[in-house]
Amino acid sequence: MISFEQVSKKYHEKNALANASFHLQRGTMAFLTGHSGAGKSTLLKLIMLMAHPTSGKVIVDRQDLSQLNRAQVPAHRRKIGLVFQNHQLLMDYSVFDNVALPLKISGYNERDSGRRVRAALDKVGLLDKERLSPQTLSSGEQQRIGIARAIVNKPKLILADEPTGNLDPALSAEIMRLFQQFNQVGVSVLIASHDLELIQRLPHPVIALNQGRISGSASLMGH
Amino acid sequence: MALFSQTPTQNASRTRPESVSKRLVREHKEVLMSSWKRLWKAPLANLLTWLTLAIALALPAALMLLLSQASHLGQQVNQSSHISVFLSLDTTHEQGLLLSTELAKRTDIANVSYLSATQALAEFKSSSGLEDILSSLIENPLPATLLIEPTNSFLGPDAIDKLTQQLREQDNIDQVLVDMAWLDRLQSILAISQRFTYSLALLLALGVLLVVGNTVRLHIESRKEEILVIKLVGGTDAYLRRPFLYAGFWTGLFSAIIAWIILQLGVIYLHQPLLWLAQSYQSDWQLQGLSWMGSFCLIFTSCSLSVLGAGLTVRRQLNLIEPK
Ligand SMILES: Nc1ncnc2c1ncn2[C@@H]1O[C@H](COP(=O)(O)OP(=O)(O)OP(=O)(O)O)[C@@H](O)[C@H]1O
Ligand SMILES: [Mg+2]
Repeated sequence: MISFEQVSKKYHEKNALANASFHLQRGTMAFLTGHSGAGKSTLLKLIMLMAHPTSGKVIVDRQDLSQLNRAQVPAHRRKIGLVFQNHQLLMDYSVFDNVALPLKISGYNERDSGRRVRAALDKVGLLDKERLSPQTLSSGEQQRIGIARAIVNKPKLILADEPTGNLDPALSAEIMRLFQQFNQVGVSVLIASHDLELIQRLPHPVIALNQGRISGSASLMGH
Repeated sequence: MALFSQTPTQNASRTRPESVSKRLVREHKEVLMSSWKRLWKAPLANLLTWLTLAIALALPAALMLLLSQASHLGQQVNQSSHISVFLSLDTTHEQGLLLSTELAKRTDIANVSYLSATQALAEFKSSSGLEDILSSLIENPLPATLLIEPTNSFLGPDAIDKLTQQLREQDNIDQVLVDMAWLDRLQSILAISQRFTYSLALLLALGVLLVVGNTVRLHIESRKEEILVIKLVGGTDAYLRRPFLYAGFWTGLFSAIIAWIILQLGVIYLHQPLLWLAQSYQSDWQLQGLSWMGSFCLIFTSCSLSVLGAGLTVRRQLNLIEPK
């Protein structure tokens, strides 16, 4: 699903990512770990085409991203559900409208979109909050709204940047189970997290980043 | 697993797939409505923008209206203008009459009235108050006169010039007088006003583009966060542009409506003095308000300018907002 080949990303002559190579197979769920500033978000941004590698090749869903022109970027992003590190909810939208946004841009009609939004909200356990403003929710709830928005469009690939950052252990485990459920129906999942305790309890491959370099990729190929 | 268990094919069977054109129509309708609703979220700010644009539109529109109708006035006034032809003193009464009937046959002449030397003298006597002195004259010093009214379609300056030229070449004609100076003057004043109006219209159109552009820029600035998120979830540029283009359309429409009202009020205000002016030229000319066609042109111009202004800005501004 995702291939990095000798990918480097420089910000002001400093490598945020250096010679990173890995391959995430279709249908795999994996973790991306590393200290703060290790380059986790940078790696996810390269996949989202929010940034372009200084060198190397990024391939997502058999598509070499350097080959995509500007007009093809939106279609690429629609394939991916992204859970932001700082959830990026729109405060002047209701919870429902926030989650419905990916459907709206894809031109879903109200009925289909309403059904899917409620299913997604149900998944994250916030069905009863659909009319509220995200502002009135706790950060854990906001995080879960962000997850609902990432999954509502049934993407082939889910990227999550610290999805459990604001959650207590019980809720974190619950969210991880949710990602596992998606993974079980064939969705590829890549989760950046430094919640090592949680990660170690789960049987998923781990890509470890250190100063922009991949220092280990425990059982990445799924053994 | 309600969310992910259904495969795309199952999904398609549950809801009838919508055709692309139908979907586009629905999407555009939605944006039209949502941009309409958004207008009333900041009614005062919008009203100020509309007023600014309305003034910029009403000014050249008013001038154009006035000009198009004033050139009409120029023609009407001209209809009452005559060419005075003074015959040479040795022309006999019969020769004069013959000439007048011959000239009356010309296509560019509508009417010729013949004023014999005796009639001319009588008229001059009564109008000048010099009766006594004139009676003492042995010989009539005044020539016979032809008053020529050109045909309507030969009223242009060129046609009149040609006609007077040809009259001068005729036998028995001593002098041809046309009071063309004022017509020439009116013509050049109209030409100047026309160019002035067009330049003003061009400048103000540019102004409209800039005002709309700037409004849209601020608008985009205030929705930056929303635009970023939409870009990240894969919204296309066309999708992002649409609400701003529709907002431009509404802006154009409301500005045009206000400009139209300003124009009609102006017409009502100017009606009486213009009527007096026209009457002083024996014309029944009246200043008319905007016709249906004129109103349509105003609205069309305003909407196109606004949408163009929005379109030119939105492309550039949206490119500046990229998720980092
Ligand atoms: N837009 C940017 N401009 C300049 N430097 C950047 C930019 N984005 C990231 N960096 C730098 O790249 C390095 C990696 O950043 P990144 O955000 O990928 O770290 P991270 O692993 O996500 O950290 P955290 O766990 O704190 O989120 C950091 O040193 C950061 O300062
Ligand atoms: Mg990060």
